[in-house]
Amino acid sequence: MLCQLQFLTKNGIYDFWNWFDDRTWYPLGRVIGGTVYPGLTLTAGTLWWILNSLNIPLSVETVCVFTAPTFSALAAWATYLLTKEVKGTGAGLTAAALLAMVPSYISRSVAGSYDNEAVAIFALIFTFYLYIKTLNTGSLFYATLNALAYFYMVCSWGGYTFIINLIPMHALLCIVTGRYSPRLYIAYAPLVILGTLLAALVPVVGFNAVMTSEHFASFLVFLILNVVGLVYYIKGMLTPKMFKVAVTLVVSAGLIVCCAVVAVLVALVASSPTKGWSGRSLSLLDPTYASKYIPIIASVSEHQPPTWPSYFMDINVLAFLVPAGIIACFLPLTDASSFVILYLVTSVYFSGVMVRLMLVLAPAACIMSGIALSSAFGVFTRSIKFASIGKQDDAGDIGNGVTQNHVVKPDRNEEPPKEKASRKKKKEKENVEKAPTAAKKSERRLLMLPMEASVVAILLLVLLGAFYVVHCVWAAAEAYSAPSIVLTSQSHDGLHVFDDFREAYAWLSHNTDVDDKVASWWDYGYQTTAMANRTVIVDNNTWNNTHIATVGTAMSSPEKAAWEIFNSLDVKYVLVVFGGLVGYPSDDINKFLWMVRIGGGVFPHIKEPDYLRDGQYRIDNMATPTMLNCLMYKLSYYRFVETDGKGFDRVRRTEIGKKHFKLTHFEEVFTTHHWMVRIYKLKPPKNRLRGKTKKSKSKPTSTISKRSATQKKNPWQ
Amino acid sequence: MSRPLLSLLTFLFLSIICNAFSPENPTDRKVLVLLDDLSVKSSHSLYFQSLQSRGYDLDFKLADDPRVALQRYGQYLYDALILFSPTIESLGGSLNAAAILDFVDSGHDLILAADASASDLIREIATECGVDFDEDQAAMVIDHTSFAVSDTEGDHTLIAGDNFIQSDVILGKEKIKAPVLFKGIGHSVNPANSLVLKVLSASPAAYSANPKSKLSTPPTLTGSAIGLVSVVQARNNARILISGSLSMFSNRFFRSGVQKAGSTINHGRSGNEQFVTEISKWVFHERGHLKAVNVRHHKVGEADEPSIYRINDELEYSLEIYEWSGTSWEPYVADDVQVQFYMMSPYVLKTMSTDQKGIYYTSFKVPDVYGVFQFKVEYKKLGVTSLSLAKQIPVRPFRHNEYERFITAAFPYYGASFSMMGGFFIFSLVYLYHK
Amino acid sequence: MAKSSATKDAQALFHSLRSAYAATPTNLKIIDLYVVFAISTALIQVVYMALVGSFPFNSFLSGVLSCIGTAVLAVCLRIQVNKENKEFKDLPPERAFADFVLCNLVLHLVIMNFLG
Repeated sequence: MLCQLQFLTKNGIYDFWNWFDDRTWYPLGRVIGGTVYPGLTLTAGTLWWILNSLNIPLSVETVCVFTAPTFSALAAWATYLLTKEVKGTGAGLTAAALLAMVPSYISRSVAGSYDNEAVAIFALIFTFYLYIKTLNTGSLFYATLNALAYFYMVCSWGGYTFIINLIPMHALLCIVTGRYSPRLYIAYAPLVILGTLLAALVPVVGFNAVMTSEHFASFLVFLILNVVGLVYYIKGMLTPKMFKVAVTLVVSAGLIVCCAVVAVLVALVASSPTKGWSGRSLSLLDPTYASKYIPIIASVSEHQPPTWPSYFMDINVLAFLVPAGIIACFLPLTDASSFVILYLVTSVYFSGVMVRLMLVLAPAACIMSGIALSSAFGVFTRSIKFASIGKQDDAGDIGNGVTQNHVVKPDRNEEPPKEKASRKKKKEKENVEKAPTAAKKSERRLLMLPMEASVVAILLLVLLGAFYVVHCVWAAAEAYSAPSIVLTSQSHDGLHVFDDFREAYAWLSHNTDVDDKVASWWDYGYQTTAMANRTVIVDNNTWNNTHIATVGTAMSSPEKAAWEIFNSLDVKYVLVVFGGLVGYPSDDINKFLWMVRIGGGVFPHIKEPDYLRDGQYRIDNMATPTMLNCLMYKLSYYRFVETDGKGFDRVRRTEIGKKHFKLTHFEEVFTTHHWMVRIYKLKPPKNRLRGKTKKSKSKPTSTISKRSATQKKNPWQ
Repeated sequence: MSRPLLSLLTFLFLSIICNAFSPENPTDRKVLVLLDDLSVKSSHSLYFQSLQSRGYDLDFKLADDPRVALQRYGQYLYDALILFSPTIESLGGSLNAAAILDFVDSGHDLILAADASASDLIREIATECGVDFDEDQAAMVIDHTSFAVSDTEGDHTLIAGDNFIQSDVILGKEKIKAPVLFKGIGHSVNPANSLVLKVLSASPAAYSANPKSKLSTPPTLTGSAIGLVSVVQARNNARILISGSLSMFSNRFFRSGVQKAGSTINHGRSGNEQFVTEISKWVFHERGHLKAVNVRHHKVGEADEPSIYRINDELEYSLEIYEWSGTSWEPYVADDVQVQFYMMSPYVLKTMSTDQKGIYYTSFKVPDVYGVFQFKVEYKKLGVTSLSLAKQIPVRPFRHNEYERFITAAFPYYGASFSMMGGFFIFSLVYLYHK
Repeated sequence: MAKSSATKDAQALFHSLRSAYAATPTNLKIIDLYVVFAISTALIQVVYMALVGSFPFNSFLSGVLSCIGTAVLAVCLRIQVNKENKEFKDLPPERAFADFVLCNLVLHLVIMNFLG
């Protein structure tokens, strides 16, 4: 990603738009302009350009590092705006404060984390804010801004499909619950048309904006909305009797046309094998889809379902506040609050499918919790205020205060029971006795709670907030601050630093030719391109499954076959990551099962059962011969027995199966200090081909020339 | 961008041509001759004189002379080696089989002659080069139908061989009329080995067995599978000649006449001298040695070499190939030099046309696929040094402004959009100003 | 009998629609005409594409979507300007028209970019 920004700043936008990168995915190359979401790069590029034209000479790397924190601040501001539209400024402030700290979002917006999500989440929240604003005001101006914000989101992240499916879902919900209004039309229709056009402008999306199933929901709801609008318009014009006549006529005639159109559409969609959905979307809808059909999507660790502890780690206390927020949104139910509820529910589902999408849940959780917290605080503080007033007056004034309270805040009727319900969830110990006492006192339906209860509750809520802050700070410092390229570990003699990756890339950049090709598993592609500046075969973009499968097949084949495959790709060096000496668990042997699966998915001669013993991948003496002969085993464990004499692998916790062997087609050129990265070179083909006669092992080495012993042949005869 | 490509190319040139001698003059100059008996120097003097008359500097040494050395301080002292010591068990000085094979692998030539009493060392060197001598130590090639009629040798081990390989490059343009006298051991060659060629094979009736003892089992080596003289051209274009008979090079065989059994023609002089001279010319790179220089490619109409092509471009590719004639570089003329435009498989394969003066050129259209391609020339002809050139060049797709500007079929859409704009303008006028 | 009653109903419906529509103010009728113009242009383009094929698909998309977009925006303007809509009674018509112009500008800019 960084080198894209460097290219942009050096060559300008036209060259970046048309850039054909020939140093990656050798020999296919990659059309950067058409396969990358340009939002992040263009944003950072604009920032850099503005700063430089103001004569603030920041380097490209500095801009990259600080883009994410800048945009996370903007995301907090956008959250404030969104929640303000839903519930009011108090809720907005609370939600913004919560988002500013939530660990899930911090993990993706740390200074230095330069990935799409850094700007995409801001774009997401801002788009939603503009939609709600348009819905609330009915102004076409905000609708235009909404479309433009959606365009920015499409530029930034593939997750824009979430927006283009959530908003139609909400519009449909509004129509179905009878909340159709002209403002809905103004909010939705221009967004769909302008948004589709703008999305089609981005090269990555292109015609997918109208052709893939991910966008059909928006068109369908657009049609429905137009029909509903027309119906309401005509209803307004006609008398009820005439309207009934019109309805029967239209329904009978239109039904036939409708069925025909639907049948055609269904036929079109069903004719494509994935029903028009992309692999990633399908794996979201059906969590088991990827593991059955697309091993490459299943192999990314970020695509696995999250565990329960990861919810607590990432959104902490908000997990408990969210249900309270949902209830708060129902009282009263406005268009905006129904939207937020829908957003929360869908993002909870998707975060349950893929741990990477916890990031989409975080803003929703913050909004909900902000609403809940601010409403709770509102009730308690008002209770305290009116309780202190009420103590001075008699019952009449209390009644006045109560009615005043009622007039000013008409929706506080439901607050106490809700608060009782929500508080019970959190602090059952204290409130159990308070609630019955409150119920006893409220024979005349008091709208406030006793002052002591309120004070205690406020203190407890503040304590809750404090826990949240402490947890967020800890999570940010411990879990999400370490760069993934330099590893550290604490041992009894202090901090150990494993800098093997940078060591290996530095070796590559100094000891190989500029045009040499390096083959490794795709995880290390971007790093190799950025730090070693060498052409790679596959990288993290994973857009070509066959190419990755070729590399996977080569790693799973015996030496000679692997050499043939790599030679056909003009590869000079092969890089493997090995953690057996120090106990680094994400090395290539642990990823080997994906190499076999992905390779076997495209090349059927790689069969996974050949590598399994009792259903497990093993590398000890019970491993299958195919496993012991494959290139990955040999390149990882070559000369490993020299380290401790027994070849004990610290990650797999067993001694290796084949200990002493030679490499025939590869030669080792570099192994890093902790043996974590090992680089091998392909041997050139032999100069002479040997004949078939076996070498005689028992050759007597006589120092005396045997010439005198044999009969000398007379050369003259 | 072109600088590293140029250095890569020069490196490839150097690897095509033998590293030892200067690329400008590929014929060997200094030759070490190892003998196991100094009398070989005089008994084979005609052969050695023919070499010296062509300008070679021969250095005769005994094979087990402890002062024998091929290299000193990492530099090789000789350009080629002739091993006429079939019975030697271990070589003197620092030489052994591995040293000789390293000598060959660094690009130098070798002539190896074995004999009926070939030692294990000689057999080992031959096996490493791809030639397997008969494992029976006492076996010789016997042929009861193609032997040379003679008064003295009665066991038909003296063979008149005339199954030559069909190659003008190796054996010269003049046909060898008289058969070649051969007496020695035979060898076999793995048919899967593409680097070894049998120059003189035995006739289909020959077999390899001990002439003195009765045959108890059928011989393993029979017929034309037996090679009498073979050559090997290694991947770095070092050339090796392996002969099963040392006496084939001797003065006696050069001067004697030959009559093949079953034929009435009695040749006054055997074909040995011509055969051996021609094949030595080939082994020492006086013939069949090519160099390829000046690889150029450019877009049609331009002169500069671009660093990247676009799909559907027209381009021209040219290179010059010269052949060493023994004294100077002459243009190489052939009609089968091909160039491929290759990315994991050849997208374009064209035979290049020549102007008879050594320049080969062709032009073609870049295919409709983008990626990183290579211009590959893989020229492997029998007896000729192999040319293996590869030049990498990326091919990019169209830029966004390189498509057709206005597409005729789309005019209605252009019209509709502009009419929308016009309609908007008119509508706003009407709407604002109506009463 | 059912058929004649259906046709009678249809005619009655048609009459009531016509009379109700005649009551709408002129400026709204102008907007309606504009919408009809846009939709018909869109339909013509769709028919053309069905005949000729969708080769320059981006041009087809931009043509059709410009027509539909214009129609939608005009409908939005109509909603905002219509005096019968209670929700928009405090929205000055100039503001509504200004928003309409802005949105159209953006639309046409995008269309121009996407067209060729």
